[in-house]
Amino acid sequence: MTELGLTPYLCLGAFLFCCGLLCIATKRNAIGILMGVELVLNAANVNFVACARYVPQFALEGQVFALLVIVLAAGEAAVALAIILNFYNNHSTVDVDKADELKG
Amino acid sequence: MFPTPSFVERVSTDLQRDLLAFLPELILCATIVALLLARLVTPLSRKHLGSFALLASGCALAFAICFWPERSAPIGSVPLSGNVEGFSSLLVFDTFGLYLRVFLLVFLCCSLWLSLLTGIPDAEDSADYYTLVIGGILGMMLMASANHLLMAFVAVEMASVPSYALAGFLKGRRQGSEAALKYVVYGASASGVMLYGISLLAGTFGTGSMPLISRAVAVASLGEGPTLPVLAGSICILIGLGFKLSAVPFHFWCPDVFSGAAAEVGAFLSVASKAAALALTARFLFVFSGSSRTGPDDLSGSALALGWAFMAAVTATFGNLAALAQTNIKRMLAYSTIAHAGIMMMALVAVGPRSVGPLLYYISGYLLMNLGAFAIVALVRNRTGSENLDAFRGLIRRAPLLAVGMSIFLLSLLGMPPLVGFAAKFQVFAVLYETGRDLGGHDGMIAWVYFGLLVVAALNTAISAGYYLKLVKVMTLEDPADPSPIRVSIGSGALVSILAGLVLAAGVFWNPLTQYANRASQSFDLAPKFEKPAKIPKDAVRPAIGPKGKIK
Repeated sequence: MTELGLTPYLCLGAFLFCCGLLCIATKRNAIGILMGVELVLNAANVNFVACARYVPQFALEGQVFALLVIVLAAGEAAVALAIILNFYNNHSTVDVDKADELKG
Repeated sequence: MFPTPSFVERVSTDLQRDLLAFLPELILCATIVALLLARLVTPLSRKHLGSFALLASGCALAFAICFWPERSAPIGSVPLSGNVEGFSSLLVFDTFGLYLRVFLLVFLCCSLWLSLLTGIPDAEDSADYYTLVIGGILGMMLMASANHLLMAFVAVEMASVPSYALAGFLKGRRQGSEAALKYVVYGASASGVMLYGISLLAGTFGTGSMPLISRAVAVASLGEGPTLPVLAGSICILIGLGFKLSAVPFHFWCPDVFSGAAAEVGAFLSVASKAAALALTARFLFVFSGSSRTGPDDLSGSALALGWAFMAAVTATFGNLAALAQTNIKRMLAYSTIAHAGIMMMALVAVGPRSVGPLLYYISGYLLMNLGAFAIVALVRNRTGSENLDAFRGLIRRAPLLAVGMSIFLLSLLGMPPLVGFAAKFQVFAVLYETGRDLGGHDGMIAWVYFGLLVVAALNTAISAGYYLKLVKVMTLEDPADPSPIRVSIGSGALVSILAGLVLAAGVFWNPLTQYANRASQSFDLAPKFEKPAKIPKDAVRPAIGPKGKIK
């Protein structure tokens, strides 16, 4: 099997990143936005893992980066879901367009 | 492959040294664990744990002051100028980081004291509230001394995740939950973008260590200039930091979060998180500028500095213009925070040791005056139930101490002599002027950027007089709707008087604080110089574990 090289993986990462940003920008559902954020974080993780494979001096650091990012993403998602649930309790919706009481 | 005895010995002595230098943070970690476990013990589960948290933070502060370089502590000692890298160069202990650590702990103590006075976490929720506040401060302390991109990201997350939860801490309030939702959605996106930038940068250079990257950037800038991944990575990271700094155009969360969250949380977000974000930004800007390749002012020629200067000017101007129309005091203070962030970013345009000193002084002064202003908003809210301008009408008749204190804080935020705000603004203006003058000789265009910034900053001070003085006028000259006096407890009076006294004292006697700030900024002077790689101890910057998992 031939090696693909680093570039295709970086392109995949960039594609995932763009999908994530698009998701964040267009979704009106708070959970949907959260999924977009996860896509962005995973795009970064693809980069880390690919670089760990193809950049020799990054082998260990890249994997440590990826592992810690997984843990942090889980922690952030937990807090974000709790906040969304609290918003739902107060507003009976998770539509971010309904969060418009604070302005000025 | 197996570690040799000499390697084990070196690692264990290094670890001991690092852990000792890390003692204040360790105390905070232990406090968090203790606070969480206290809920399990029946006699403690209903107690208000604020005094315990305050005691532990005071303890951490005492240790942090003990490790201040001047004291020449024998253990974990950092040379007066210079830096020691700890934990396999994940963290750096330099005077800049140590100064900010002391500053953040002072803020933590003041804010815990304030929360005891206003009683915003009741006994039931106290453990949660203090866990979040102390955890957030811990993350900010790590942000101030991060030396590795991984550490920087972990620290940013450690500081922001508790902030999201704190914004929505008053669970039943509609506005609080809305503020938290907006904060977490924007914040998580911004940190995702920042992480993507970090992945590009670290992958390109094959390391996350900031000193190594900054040397690689310096090498690259001698050749063909930055490549696309480096450029995109730097921009992504600066977007993430700009969000934390609430720089325009990433500021939109700030007013909503401040007006939805409790005033105590607002103080936490506006002072502590801005300070930590500025510290991290300063470190990043040094990395991107290739760490003093030919001199600290080298960045000033680059497009990065121009972009940064433009962003700072827009941030300051937008914050001040938007603040003019506000009637909610917390919202007004949020826009004032944006404006002050802009002024502090201006100080960073002139990257170099001499601009970091004024920045640190500004941050310290901002701690005193903004915490004081938020404290008074919280105290007035507790008595009147309102945070609007009307609640402050004729405050001088109802609570003279609060009205006088608030006036002092507001005039200091405006930059009136002889208050600390004046000294801080003066130093930033001076550094802009000096940099512009020094550059005038060989690069006239860039020099005008600095003079332009100076003009913008001066105009902004004039605009900000509009809303600061309006509030002072409302408090002192107008008649209150409800003339009944507001009772101020002794503790609240003491906190307000101490903060107001410090604002006045630090404004009259600049020297001690300025000297400390300038000394702290010297650690940037000693950032590894590119021309003299021989001066850098090899072990200090190289990861402890080398490529291929080989242990050196």
